[in-house]
Amino acid sequence: MAKYRAWLGVILVITIASVVVITQIPTRLGLDLRGGSQLTIQVQPTAAIPTITERELEAVQTVVEGRVNGLGVSEAVVQQLGNNQLLVQLPGVSDPQQAERVLGGTAQLEFRAQRPGTDQQLQIENQVLQGHLGELAALQATLPSNGEMNSDTQARIDKLQADITASEKAVAALFEPSTLGGDKLTDAIARPTSGTLWEVVIQFNSEGGNEFAEISKAIAGTGRTIGIFLDNRLLSAPTVNVQYAETGITGGSAVISGNFTAESARDLEIQLRGGALPLPVEVVENRTVGPTLGRDSIQRSLYAGIAGLGLVLVFMAIYYRLPGVLADIALIIYALLTWAAFNLLGVTLTLPGIAGFILSIGMAVDANVLIFERTREELQAGKTLYRSVESGFYRAFSSILDGNVTTLISCLALFYFGAGLVKGFALTLAIGVIISMFTALTCTRTLMFLAISLPQFRRPSLFCPGLTTARPDTVRP
Amino acid sequence: MKLNIIKQRGLWWGISIGLVLVSLVAMAISWQQLGAPLKPGLDFAGGTRLQLTRACVTTDSCTEPLELADVRQVLGDQGLDSSSLQLLGEDQQVLSIRTRTLTVDERAPLQSALDEAIGPFDPGSTQIDTVGPVVGKQLLVAGLLALLVSFAGIVAYMSLRFKLDYALLAILALAHDVIITAGVFAILGLVLGVEVDSLFIVSLLTIVGFSVNDTVVIYDRVRENMKLSPGSHINDIVDSAVNQTLARSINTSLTTTLPLVAIVIFGGPTLKYFALALIVGFVAGAYSSIFVASSLLALWRERTGQAYSDDPDLAEAQPETQS
Repeated sequence: MAKYRAWLGVILVITIASVVVITQIPTRLGLDLRGGSQLTIQVQPTAAIPTITERELEAVQTVVEGRVNGLGVSEAVVQQLGNNQLLVQLPGVSDPQQAERVLGGTAQLEFRAQRPGTDQQLQIENQVLQGHLGELAALQATLPSNGEMNSDTQARIDKLQADITASEKAVAALFEPSTLGGDKLTDAIARPTSGTLWEVVIQFNSEGGNEFAEISKAIAGTGRTIGIFLDNRLLSAPTVNVQYAETGITGGSAVISGNFTAESARDLEIQLRGGALPLPVEVVENRTVGPTLGRDSIQRSLYAGIAGLGLVLVFMAIYYRLPGVLADIALIIYALLTWAAFNLLGVTLTLPGIAGFILSIGMAVDANVLIFERTREELQAGKTLYRSVESGFYRAFSSILDGNVTTLISCLALFYFGAGLVKGFALTLAIGVIISMFTALTCTRTLMFLAISLPQFRRPSLFCPGLTTARPDTVRP
Repeated sequence: MKLNIIKQRGLWWGISIGLVLVSLVAMAISWQQLGAPLKPGLDFAGGTRLQLTRACVTTDSCTEPLELADVRQVLGDQGLDSSSLQLLGEDQQVLSIRTRTLTVDERAPLQSALDEAIGPFDPGSTQIDTVGPVVGKQLLVAGLLALLVSFAGIVAYMSLRFKLDYALLAILALAHDVIITAGVFAILGLVLGVEVDSLFIVSLLTIVGFSVNDTVVIYDRVRENMKLSPGSHINDIVDSAVNQTLARSINTSLTTTLPLVAIVIFGGPTLKYFALALIVGFVAGAYSSIFVASSLLALWRERTGQAYSDDPDLAEAQPETQS
């Protein structure tokens, strides 16, 4: 029995570890539970760009990410979906209409000349802006990963975001509006220069080239800058050397150089290209759940889960007696382990996900039921208690394995083809199935063998009420 | 309790065939009336659904249930006459409107008009679902593809662990369960206007996984019995396998259905029909595993001259069980 004592120790350690995980790592709740908007944005091809490639999608993603940041939603996620869609998740967004409007427009890239006499102002405003941005980033870095925050922090973040928007407006006001937009930019490429420095080459079409020559001529040598704006936010403000004061930068191509690292040059490249893309985007799916509605769903689902689990526990104890009680303990360990696995693996729990979890509780029982039914049969066939329990486990194994593998196959198909909520369900069910096999084959087993090693539990009637030795193909109700 | 599966197989098959026929007829009627075998929900058909809850706590505006006529008036003003309306919640304070796909610029004026005419509504409890027609089609195709792939995966796995004929008969039983579940929802769609969404496809896939689980347990026992008594007729082997696993089948169905019943009773509206689909499918699955899949296997073996299991392949295919 030393083997089972050791196993008991292992199970205890795992259980305690799960409780620690559950209390320390918060459960990630899906937007349908905590409230928020999930938007699917489709990139539309145009006559000029009939097929969307990885490169274009990446550029559009950068534009959309920029806009999402502008919305001031903490913990927003932008992901590529298929080959022409983006999935945007905005937890707790307060104004879904605004979000949809802002995210759904075509990107606005503009090259603007700085107004005369605004050098100092630009520096100051930029410093203020950078200060706000830095503080916001620092503040967001300290937030817990589940996005919960106290109202002070929330207020501070809101204030900072308002300040940032104001600063951006102030910066934009220092530049003259222009007609040189992203539609006239044909390409942007980051490339290394000497040493570790990088630069970004921009390329205009002929009309754009002429306009750029005008703008660059006006500011060359004055110390003023060309403001490159994406969706009204300043991306870069290069100056133009005095040598171009006569003609401006002609030929439709220019190089932006400065203290670019490989990374920052590539960032600018993608932002410029995204702004240059005349690719319209459209919000093709919007699922928004109000925060209180989500809370209501959690509560109801939790009640359902607890009620369901309770019914199952009672049934097992009544029908299977001592093994049923042991299975109940294993089942509770199962629930804890699964919950901890969700938190540990960062599974986002959605409403269908909770359904998957509740369902997996019912399924976790199946393995135990199979084992106990076998044990009963062996007892009825006249075997000793120890042999019966042993062969109960041994002979139920292939059924348990086959049954679970087929369920996993369905989960795999669901996960591979499904989207969003469906994926969540498949993942939680699959995790549940795998853990249930583990708990049935280790926890229940260990508890059973420990129980029959104690004399007071070694009565067959505790395992099979009204035991009479009968033919093995007769099953009692 | 001892079931005599083989002797009464005519009865069991009659019940199954009857249920399948009723289901197919319901889907055919639905096809005629609605243009689809099941009433397609927002996920598949596309459109916009707005669910608004009247703000009852902050204002005392909830003395009476919402008036659908007022809502129709507002919708008419916005040119959305053909929308469908529903009142939800115990006090009929929740309004659900299903319209064609609305852009944000069409939706915003509708929301503010409703807010003004009937509201105020609680923004915290608002739910907006907009699915474009393209996305709807994607979801449907992806769902059906998932269903087919998991069928194929299950056939492959069962052929590997058992034999091809077991796998094909199990799939037949699965089709039975899926058709009956779909039939029940076709009827619900016709009678109560219940729509199916992507969660319904999820429930079908779960039913597939579960019901094959049931069948596998019985087949596993058939295989074991064949090995233990090689001289027995397949009919006897199947009969005793079903009876040996009967308590397990009933108990497992019970323990999986209990939490689902809890969801139907306590769960939110989203999950209610999901849980109901699972219950229907699991019950059909338990039935088909016990009465149909097993008796079909016996019939098949008898007809193909394998009534007595002297099949060396099968003995070899017996998996290495370990504890």
